[in-house]
Amino acid sequence: MLQSIITQFLSGFSVVAILVIAALGLAIIFGVAGVINMAHGEMIMVGAYTAAVVGKLGGNTFLAIPIAFIVVGLLGLAIERGVIQWIYDRPLETLLATWGVGIILQVVIKLIFGPELYYVGAPKILEGGFRVIGRLPFPWYRLFLIVMAILLLALVFYVIFKTDLGLKVRAVRRNRAISGCLGIDTARIDMTIFAFGSGLAGVAGAVLAPIKSVSTAMGFPYAVDSYMVLVLGGVGSLWGVLTGGALIGEAETILSFIFNNVIGRLLVFLFIVIIIRVVPRGIFGYYERR
Amino acid sequence: MAEVAVRDPGIKDASAPKGPASQRTRVYRAPPFVPLWALIGGAAVIALIGAYPYYGSNAYVLSLLGKFLCFAIFALSIDLIWGFTGILSLGQAVYFGIGAYFVALSLKINYALTHPTRYGGKIPDFMEWNGLTELPGFMAPLINTPFAVLCALVVPTLLALLFGVITFKRHIYGVYCAVITLAESLILQDFIIEYQAYTGGFNGITDYGNYATSWFLWCILAVVVVFFFIARALTHSRVGTVLKSIRDNDVRAEFMGYNVANYRIFVFCVSAFMAAAAGALYAAWVGIVSFLDAGPVFSIEGVIWTAVGGRGTLIGPFIGAFVVKGAEFFLSGALASWWQIIVGGLFIFVVLVMRDGIVGTIGNWIRERKKGATLHQVMEESDQKAHDRQLDWQPGGPPSADEPVR
Repeated sequence: MLQSIITQFLSGFSVVAILVIAALGLAIIFGVAGVINMAHGEMIMVGAYTAAVVGKLGGNTFLAIPIAFIVVGLLGLAIERGVIQWIYDRPLETLLATWGVGIILQVVIKLIFGPELYYVGAPKILEGGFRVIGRLPFPWYRLFLIVMAILLLALVFYVIFKTDLGLKVRAVRRNRAISGCLGIDTARIDMTIFAFGSGLAGVAGAVLAPIKSVSTAMGFPYAVDSYMVLVLGGVGSLWGVLTGGALIGEAETILSFIFNNVIGRLLVFLFIVIIIRVVPRGIFGYYERR
Repeated sequence: MAEVAVRDPGIKDASAPKGPASQRTRVYRAPPFVPLWALIGGAAVIALIGAYPYYGSNAYVLSLLGKFLCFAIFALSIDLIWGFTGILSLGQAVYFGIGAYFVALSLKINYALTHPTRYGGKIPDFMEWNGLTELPGFMAPLINTPFAVLCALVVPTLLALLFGVITFKRHIYGVYCAVITLAESLILQDFIIEYQAYTGGFNGITDYGNYATSWFLWCILAVVVVFFFIARALTHSRVGTVLKSIRDNDVRAEFMGYNVANYRIFVFCVSAFMAAAAGALYAAWVGIVSFLDAGPVFSIEGVIWTAVGGRGTLIGPFIGAFVVKGAEFFLSGALASWWQIIVGGLFIFVVLVMRDGIVGTIGNWIRERKKGATLHQVMEESDQKAHDRQLDWQPGGPPSADEPVR
């Protein structure tokens, strides 16, 4: 029993990686731009369809990642210009508007690609797997997911903390009015960061496509999971994404193994609510001064 | 809680100085509880719906009417918490769904007693398909339908109380509340699908007969009227004033000495009770309940009915539910998947253009005709004033930008 829990713990790492990959784009959009993006799941879905198209045309996941970043990034840019830019000051209403955007994206994709499921294969190099501690088979693709999660997290850390853009983004987040006075074009920063976050959601879709059949409804559970990760870890904190993803991913894997999927999810939900009750702004969330 | 002197708009100020009319301070006169024209109009609409079984013979339209009334109650419950108190819940269907499932299970168990299944069992067919041979012990009390109805009303209310105590007492609201309630309804939906031996799973609970008769339509109408007046009394009382002040500025309400969390919990429980009653009526009226009635999509649908009709108005949810749902029933056949695009566009339209919904927009139009300002102009002006004041008062500069002023 103990050993199987340990193996579950190890395989939980890939669940953690999936959660982190899916939540990163949202952490940028929700945490930095302050938009409650309910179309996040649909952006992941569009990224996955992009990977499916790239796969049909003979490319593989490695090629699909940058293409999905660009496609979904541009899509995010269009959404920001068309809808979000008018409602930054009303966060709860961004939720409704982006939910509408999500519905439209789902229908449009369904009209273009039809209702059938698409399957995207993993790249040739990443097929097969190896064995950990004797018994547990561990596919190479899962390892790739973990590496990918680390790389993406590092990329976001680099962009936010080491680049000029990141400096401005942090300044705008801290104090929008003063940043504007100092000559930062805050509307442009919002636009850029929304597009960047959308692009990350696209990458998530491209990376997650081979482990899940691609359909128009695939995104919503990812979006809800991502929100739970952010709420638990703390909105606006990258360490929060990692911590929240790790806690939820491991707890869900182990509890689902001991009980079943639904009970596991229920327990994780209760666990999140209890933690939120102790730290209302999430583990790494900071208390805003009132 | 400290007593705060608030001038109640309903009470005439006795301490107002007496004298010639020009020197007297103007006493605010509260509008009547329900204006006469609204009373007559409402009675006419109710009579029109209630008399349908006499002048119309279309059973489909009759069933739609009952359905829409249940949806309208559901939207009213969302309006109470969202439109009047500012709590956006994306899991209101949890309460609707639990209410509906209690009633549907009870009716199904009773139906199975008199209609044996193909294999002669006296238990609901979906239990038999899943290998149960007799009714599980914990469901036995549901044979008593009045008890089941009581459960359908009480259990969701207690659940809402629990949820409120857990979250609102710790200042979890706004986005956090929306996300947690969303996850709540997603989990309930998964739960129903997984435990299909007890809930009917993916197919839901079907074939237990329904009550789509004229007397049940009148029951639903009576409940609608009662709930409308409860909501009216609640929102037009002092409690309602506090609720609206919480919606507009919860920090200020807290500083004035009101226990914001308790007000939020109270209105959340009332709203859950209404949603549960709507669910119970819906299950009995329609004769089919599925996991979709407890899921996140239905919750958000309710939010959009409220937004389209006009949040923060009592008649808005009714109009929103009838307009949106009615359009869906008559257009979705002709337009197929394009209808979904219209729904999506509706979300964006309501947020970007018609912020006050149908009723609110008409109200603004009337106010403008009477040379007044629209609600939003008034609110934005007062916001601007409050903002300017804060700039004067704080030696350290303007308030932090990531904290919205309101």
